[in-house]
Amino acid sequence: MMTSMAPSALAGYLIVSGILLTIGVIGFLVRRNLIVMFLCTELMFQGAAIAFVAVGRYLFDYSGQVMVIFILTVAAAEAALALALVVLLHRQKNTLDADAYVELHE
Amino acid sequence: MDLFLPYIACVTLALTVYAALRPSPPTLQVAMVAIGATAGGWLIGIVTGSLSSFGEVSHGIFFVIFSLCAIAAAIRMITHSRPIYCALHFVLVVIASAGLLLMLEAEFMAFALIIVYAGAILITYMFVLMLANQAENPEEPYTQATYDRVPREPAASVAVGFLLLCLITGTVTGGTSSLPPQGDANSQWFVLEKLSTQFEHTVLDVSPEFAWPPITENGHIIQFGTDGVFIVSQNGELLQLDETMLPTNTQMVGWSLVNDFPVTIELAGVILLMAMFGAAVLARRAIELSDREKRIAILGQDTEEGGDA
Repeated sequence: MMTSMAPSALAGYLIVSGILLTIGVIGFLVRRNLIVMFLCTELMFQGAAIAFVAVGRYLFDYSGQVMVIFILTVAAAEAALALALVVLLHRQKNTLDADAYVELHE
Repeated sequence: MDLFLPYIACVTLALTVYAALRPSPPTLQVAMVAIGATAGGWLIGIVTGSLSSFGEVSHGIFFVIFSLCAIAAAIRMITHSRPIYCALHFVLVVIASAGLLLMLEAEFMAFALIIVYAGAILITYMFVLMLANQAENPEEPYTQATYDRVPREPAASVAVGFLLLCLITGTVTGGTSSLPPQGDANSQWFVLEKLSTQFEHTVLDVSPEFAWPPITENGHIIQFGTDGVFIVSQNGELLQLDETMLPTNTQMVGWSLVNDFPVTIELAGVILLMAMFGAAVLARRAIELSDREKRIAILGQDTEEGGDA
């Protein structure tokens, strides 16, 4: 049987997940390689997953872990589509530089 | 609640991430990552320590190890100039956060995370990296591309990111008094009550003479007494329940999944199917066939069908 969890322990897990999310955001903004940018979104998903499970454990609510299953689903779908797009773009310009595709918005 | 020290820790972390993003020799980078992880650990220590009296913080050494590993690997991942190493450091982040989930008693999610992330998604990333990441200059295959070495607007990005972290820190530290109360550990027993077949088998394994089903009181068959949890049979027999009869974590997650989110799980399946179709349609390369090749293909099929008939 699970014992209850101290609020300070919950705060620790939330800070770790916040740091992972922040580093993911910075990585997405800073890196110019398309594939690494998408890897950074996966890092943000990791942070969210830890927060979900920690809060679910604190409340004895298993929906937190169910949300991680859906996060995994979205991450897998995102990876498949994003990588297909990257392969397509790479075929056209032969580079992974995100700045090479600035004319796409015109 | 004094937020001065947490913000100092956030700024330290921001400065080390900024320093690690500058192009510098590898030893300096590793030192920066170590300093960054220490700053992250300091931040966690301040926040958790301020919320409880001294000695109440007992997450064990493993929480510290796993969280420091995750933070250090994450910083190294966004600062490393070779994409393959970025992906490998992300595997380290996944394994460290799976360790954190294990400490939260979420065993199924921890191993699912390793299998799905480190085993499936990362392998796809590796394939595409190897497919697409060729050297700019074929004569020097080991030089990295400029876009991997030079970051884009590091100062502004780090400022934005750590404003977000300061916000999260402020919310977590300042808002703990408004956090919802801790959940009721007894709610786990009510899940067992709903899994009636399993409950019956568990009870009959322990005491075969028990007259199933037990009587219901206040809408629940499980009663909470001062000396523990028990059920009462029709002829007044009392059976004490112990913790080993509780459903495991994986059973609880499965129950919550199919009981609370039946439509969402179907939608998740549809999302995966659509993503698979989308990826196949996007990455497909149209092959131009000449008239002669088409004729050969069609006629070859025709003759095969004729042979069958």
